[in-house]
Amino acid sequence: MKINVVKNVLQANDIVAAKNRQVFQEAGVLAVNLISSPGSGKTTLLEKTIPALADQGPSIVIVGDLQTTRDAERVADSAFQVTQINTGMSCHLYANQIAESLPGLELAQAYFLFIENVGNLVCPGEFDLGENLKVILLSIPEGDDKVAKYPTVFRAADMVLLTKIDLLGAFSYDLARVENDLRKLNPTAPLVPFSATTGQGMGEWLGWLAEQRKTKVGAQARFIHE
Amino acid sequence: MHEMSLASALMEEIDRISRQNNILRIDEVELRIGVLKQVVPQVMEEAFRAVSLGTLAEGAILRQVEIGARALCEDCGMEFVPAPDDFLCPVCGKFSRNLLEGDEILLGSLTCVT
Ligand SMILES: Nc1nc2c(ncn2[C@@H]2O[C@H](COP(=O)(O)OP(=O)(O)O)[C@@H](O)[C@H]2O)c(=O)[nH]1
Ligand SMILES: [Mg+2]
Ligand SMILES: [Zn+2]
Repeated sequence: MKINVVKNVLQANDIVAAKNRQVFQEAGVLAVNLISSPGSGKTTLLEKTIPALADQGPSIVIVGDLQTTRDAERVADSAFQVTQINTGMSCHLYANQIAESLPGLELAQAYFLFIENVGNLVCPGEFDLGENLKVILLSIPEGDDKVAKYPTVFRAADMVLLTKIDLLGAFSYDLARVENDLRKLNPTAPLVPFSATTGQGMGEWLGWLAEQRKTKVGAQARFIHE
Repeated sequence: MHEMSLASALMEEIDRISRQNNILRIDEVELRIGVLKQVVPQVMEEAFRAVSLGTLAEGAILRQVEIGARALCEDCGMEFVPAPDDFLCPVCGKFSRNLLEGDEILLGSLTCVT
């Protein structure tokens, strides 16, 4: 017997992601999914960003990590709440794992929810978590050819942070190539040279987050909880 | 490398449908994959073999059907074939978000014994 199905293989994940998105919306929190290769600077970005956002509002962090709690510990002091998802052998987070961690979080008290995905430039791009924004970090040492090599995540990106820009001089690196490759896939995502070491790009990043929070979450959503 | 993630999601869907339909054994799984997913068929085959071990789909044939990419230029109306890393219209050079197909991964059908 042949059963015709014709169903999106990722649909089960997408349904849970849509529910998560609804929860974020109701709580008035901006959810940001941070995606990059291992070591591109996601946790370092959070270490710098969360204290700098403190005058706007508190941040919650969900860290997806294979098994250690190191990244969670690094942001524990500055974040309002931190939770760790042990992903084991999986190379990305699922919407389900986020949904399961939400009841323990006081989302309505927070302005920002940062989700540090598992270090990987491929699979996290396929699995919607319900985030408002996907931010891709691409560090200078990874090379200037990676946008074309991992097109799916860059196509889905709302912002691309070119991290460790302070190391630019140490590599033979063509910035124009990155911009050019990105524009074949994504005409709107800002491409921001960024350094956690020198602070370059920090102002633009923080300003963008504030702006996105205003447009994506709306002023009224916050009003209900205050 | 994402073949394993996709194969796991596929297997979950197969499990769900097997339960709903009281399936006893699966002989063939038809998977329709857009070229933009950049799935390597042999790797997908291996991944499916691994995730289906010990399930009703163990030993089933995985028939992979490729779906080509098509996009419609929002600017000049030209239909064109975008490359995974290039969505610019070949005629006017404008970027197109208007993807008609080529980015999907669908469980098409199950050939099975109920
Ligand atoms: N030079 C330089 N190093 C950085 C910068 N950001 C992060 N790093 C270093 O890169 C390494 C990996 O950073 P981490 O935040 O753990 O990356 P993650 O795996 O993406 O979370 C650490 O040794 C950081 O100190 C930066 O802007 N400049
Ligand atoms: Mg980290
Ligand atoms: Zn055109």
